[in-house]
Amino acid sequence: MEKVAVAAVLLLAAGSLLSAQSSKKGFEWVTRQSDDPLLPGVNSLKVTGGIISAGSSTVYPLSERMVERFKDEGYQGSITVDSIGSGAGLERFCVAGETDVANASRAIKSSEVESARKIGREPLEFRIGTDALAVAVNKSNTFITNANKEELRLIFSTARKWSDVNPAWPKQDILRFIPGTDSGTFDYFVEELFGKKKEPILGAANLQLSEDDNVLVQGVEGSPYAIGFFGYAYFQENKDKLKVLSINGVAPSAETVNKATYPLARPLFLYSSAKIMREKPQVAAFLAFYLTYVNEEIRSVGYFPAEAEALKKAKQNWLDAMKGAY
Amino acid sequence: MQKKLRLGELVIQLTLLLFGVLSILITAGIVLTLGEESLRFFASGEISIWKFLTAAKWQPAIGEYGILPLASATLMTSLIAMLIAAPLGLFVAVYLSQYATPRVRAVLKPILEILAGIPTVVYGYFALTFITPLLRLVFGENVVSIYNTASAGIAIGILILPLIASMSEDALGAVPRSLKEAAFALGATKLETSLSVVVPAGISGVAAAFIVGLSRAIGETMIVALAAGAGSALTANPFRSAETMTGYIVRISGGDLGYDTVDYNSIFAIGIVLFLITLALNIVSRRIVRRFREVYE
Amino acid sequence: MSQAEAKVFQPHIERRQKVGALWKLVFLLATLVGIVALAALLLTVINDSFGLVALQFEVAPASLGRDGRPLERLEPKELREILTARLSSGLIRRLESEQPLAERSRQQLYELVMERVARLQVIESWSLGESLLKRGQIRNWLQQNHPQALLKFRSWVSWRFLVQPQASVPEKAGVLTALLGSLWMILITVAVAFPLGVGAAIYLEEYARENLFTRILQVNIYNLAGVPSIIYGILGLAVFVRLLERLTSGALFRIGDPATANGRTILSAGLTLAALVLPLIIINSQEAIRAVPQSLRYSSYALGGTKWQTIWHHVLPASFDRILTGTILAVSRAIGETAPLVVVGASTFVTQHPTSIFSKFTTLPIQIYQWTARPQAEFRNVAAAAIIVLLVLLLAMNTAAILLRDRISRQRREG
Repeated sequence: MEKVAVAAVLLLAAGSLLSAQSSKKGFEWVTRQSDDPLLPGVNSLKVTGGIISAGSSTVYPLSERMVERFKDEGYQGSITVDSIGSGAGLERFCVAGETDVANASRAIKSSEVESARKIGREPLEFRIGTDALAVAVNKSNTFITNANKEELRLIFSTARKWSDVNPAWPKQDILRFIPGTDSGTFDYFVEELFGKKKEPILGAANLQLSEDDNVLVQGVEGSPYAIGFFGYAYFQENKDKLKVLSINGVAPSAETVNKATYPLARPLFLYSSAKIMREKPQVAAFLAFYLTYVNEEIRSVGYFPAEAEALKKAKQNWLDAMKGAY
Repeated sequence: MQKKLRLGELVIQLTLLLFGVLSILITAGIVLTLGEESLRFFASGEISIWKFLTAAKWQPAIGEYGILPLASATLMTSLIAMLIAAPLGLFVAVYLSQYATPRVRAVLKPILEILAGIPTVVYGYFALTFITPLLRLVFGENVVSIYNTASAGIAIGILILPLIASMSEDALGAVPRSLKEAAFALGATKLETSLSVVVPAGISGVAAAFIVGLSRAIGETMIVALAAGAGSALTANPFRSAETMTGYIVRISGGDLGYDTVDYNSIFAIGIVLFLITLALNIVSRRIVRRFREVYE
Repeated sequence: MSQAEAKVFQPHIERRQKVGALWKLVFLLATLVGIVALAALLLTVINDSFGLVALQFEVAPASLGRDGRPLERLEPKELREILTARLSSGLIRRLESEQPLAERSRQQLYELVMERVARLQVIESWSLGESLLKRGQIRNWLQQNHPQALLKFRSWVSWRFLVQPQASVPEKAGVLTALLGSLWMILITVAVAFPLGVGAAIYLEEYARENLFTRILQVNIYNLAGVPSIIYGILGLAVFVRLLERLTSGALFRIGDPATANGRTILSAGLTLAALVLPLIIINSQEAIRAVPQSLRYSSYALGGTKWQTIWHHVLPASFDRILTGTILAVSRAIGETAPLVVVGASTFVTQHPTSIFSKFTTLPIQIYQWTARPQAEFRNVAAAAIIVLLVLLLAMNTAAILLRDRISRQRREG
C-alpha cells in the first residue's frame, strides 16, 4: 500500500513537473500572467522565428509601431512589413501564399477567400482598429471646410474646377491626389461614394494616384487647390500643413468615430489563418501581442480604437484558432 | 608540327564560350519575358495594339490602355534633359579637348566623373528638395505644381551631361592634329577651327553621344518616380505633373504584381515599348558611328 | 601683305578674335554649369544633414521629482518605482533579462528613466542654412510656440545613425540594416558577374573567330549595356523571383520556412544586378585585354606556352589593373541602383539584419527613396544623412579602385 502511495505521489510530482514545463515546442512565450482578460500573456523574449506581413499602407504605421514595440520588449527574430496596398497584400496572402499576415483597410472579398481556400488557407479576420478616412486640403485653403457626399462625388469625378461644384468657390482646377487602385482606401472610398463603379473617379481630370500615402500628402501640401484622401494617421502626422474636412457636418474625432456619426469611419483588419498560427507559433504570439496592446498605441499613431465588441470578437477568433495548441 | 589537341585547353575554351553565350541568354530572357506577357496582354482581347499606341488615356483599372500620356511624359522629360545636356555637353567637350590646359583638365575631368557616378536616387532627392522649390520660387507656386516634369527633366539633364561630355570629348580628341594644324596654318582662330573643322570631323561620335544620352534619359526611373508625379496626364505644360513610362512601372511594382491581373500585364506591354525604343536608339547610334566616321590614315 | 591690304583685314581679325574670346567664355561657362550643379547637389545634401533641432521631453523630468527632490537626486529604489510604474510589463521583463534592475547603479537607472520615460523628442528641425542665418528668428518662434523645448545643433549623420536599424521615428532611424543589405547583395553580384564577365571577355578577345556568331554576340553585349535598369528589374522579377523561386527562396536547400518562402531575397537582388553589370564588365575587360600588346603574347607562344597558359600568366596579369578598375566602377553603379530592386521586391520595413542570402532585404538607395518620399521634414534630414553615407561609400570604393590600380601597375612595372 505504501509503495503504491509513494509511486502515486512520485507520478503526480512528475506529472506536475512535466505539465509545468509542458509548454509545447514553439509556445514557450505563453505566460499565465496576462495584460488581457481573454488572451494569454506574451513573453516577447521567448518568441522565435520569422514573420512576414504585407498590405495596407493605412495599417502600415500601426503595424510598424506594434512591431517596434514587440522588438523593444525582446523579440529577436525577423519581421518584415511591406506597405503595398490592401489588394496587393491580400493577393500575396491568398493567391501567392507568401505572407503570414495580411494588413487590410477593407474587408476581405469573397473571391479572395476562395483563392485562399484553394491554397489551403482559411482566412481568419482580426479587427484591430478604426480609421476615420481624412479628406484633406491644404492648410491655406480657406474656401472649403465641409462637404456633403454629393459635393464629394462631384469633386472627385466630373467637376473640373472648384466653381463647378459650388459657384462661391474659386475658378481654379481641382488637383486630385488619391490612393492607387491596389489600395483598400481607394476601394472603400469608391464604394461609399460611387457604389462599385470606378469609372467616375478614375476618369477625373488632374488625377494623381499612388499607393504611397506620403506622396499624396506631399501633393496636397503643394497647392491650395489640391484635395486628397488617406488614412487619418497621415493627416495627423502632417497637421501643420493640412486641413481635414468635415463630412456632412461631422468632423472626424475620437468621439464621432466611437459614436459612428462620422460617415467615413472604416474598419482596419489583420488577416491570418489558424493553420499558419499553429504551424508558426510566433505568428500567434505576434497577433496576441498586437490585440493586447493595440489600444495603447493606436491613438498616438493616428487611428481610433475598434468598438469593444469587435475587438473582443477578434480575440475570441484567436482563442478559437489556438484551442489546445499550447 | 601538328597542333596538339589538349583536353584542358578545350574545356577552358568551351567554358569561356558558355560564359559569353550567357549574355545571349539574358537578352533572350528579356525578350521572352516581355514578349510573352505582352502577347498575353494583347491576346486577351481587351486592347488592340493600335489602340494601345494611340489612345490618349491610361487607366488600366477601368480598361483604358492608351500609352500616349505616358509616352508624352517620357518625351517631355527627355527633351528637357537633352535641351540642357546636349549643348552644354558639347561645349564642355570642346572646351576640354581644344582649350583646356592639362592641369585644368586634370581638375575638371574627375569632377565630371563624380557627377556621372552619383546614384540616380540622389538626383531624385535633389530634384524634389532643390530644383522644384527653386522653380516654384522663380515662377510662382501656382504655376509650378509640386510634382512636375520640368524639375525631373533638369535633373536628368545634369545626370547625362557628363556622359555626353565625355563621349563627345573622346570623339573630338580623336580628330588628328594634322587637320587642326592645317586650319591654323590657314589663319583660322581657335574658335573657327573648333567649330568648322574639329566638330564636323568628329560629328559621328558627337551624334552617337547625343543618342546614347537620349537613350539614358528615356530609361531613367528614380528621378521621375520622385519628382515627376504619379498620375498619367497628356499635357504639354512642363510645370504640371505627368507620369512617365518608367515611373508607372516602378509605381505599380511598388505595390505588387499578381499574376494575370490587368496591372501586371500592362507593365510588360510598356516594358517592351521601352525596350524597343532604347534598343532602336542604341542601334542607330552605332550605325551612325560606323557610317559617318571619318577614316584618317 | 601691303599696308593697305592689312588695314582691310585688321578689323575682321579683331572681330574674329573677339568672337573667339566670347565663345571661349561660353565653353568655359558650360563647364562651370556642371561644377555648379554638383556643388548645388552636395550643398543641398549637407544643408539637410546638419542643423538645429528643437527637443522636448514627452514627460518633463521636473515632474518626476519627489518630495521636492529633483530626478537626478532620487534614490535607486525610487527610480525603480518610476520605471515599473511607467513602463509596460513586457519592457520591464526585457530590461530585467538584460540586467536586473536591482543590480543597476543609480546612474544607469537615471539614464534609463531619461531615455524611456522622459523621452527627448525632436519636434522640429531646421536646415543648416536656416540654422546659421535665422538663428534669432528660430529662437523667437520656439519661445512662442514651445517654451519648454531645448534648441540644439545636431548632425544627422552620426555613429548612432550608422549602427541603428530602421525605425518609424526619424530621429531614431539608422541605416545599419540597409548598409548590410547593400553589402550582402553586392558580394553576390561581384561573385557572379566578375568571373562570368571576365571569362566572356577572354573568350571574345582571345578565342573567338571573326564570324557571324561572334559578331552577334558582340552586338548583343553592346545592346544589353544600353538597356534601362528597370527592364533588368522586370527580368529579375520574372526569372529569379518567380521562375526560380525554389532556388532563390532557399526552399531547395530547405533553408527558411516553407510556408512563406518566396523569391524576394538578397539572392534574387544580387543576381538581377549581376545581369545588369555583366555587359559593362565584359566591355571594359575586353578593352583592357585588347590593350595588351601582341608582343607579350607572341613571346609567350615562342617559349612554348599554350593559349591558356599565355592568357592566365601573361595577358590577364597585364590587364588586371584596368579590369579591376572597371569592375569597381560597375559595382559602384550597382550599389546605387534602386529601380530594379523596387521591382524585385525590397521590403518596406525590415527589422532584422540579413542572416543569409535567402533573407528579405532592403538596401541603402531603397532606404533613401523611401525616406525622401515621406513629407515630414525630419525624414528629409535622415534621407540626406543616408545620402552622405552612400556617397562616402562610393567615394571610398572609387578611391580604393584608383589606389589598387596604381599599386598593381607599379608592381608590375617593378616586378
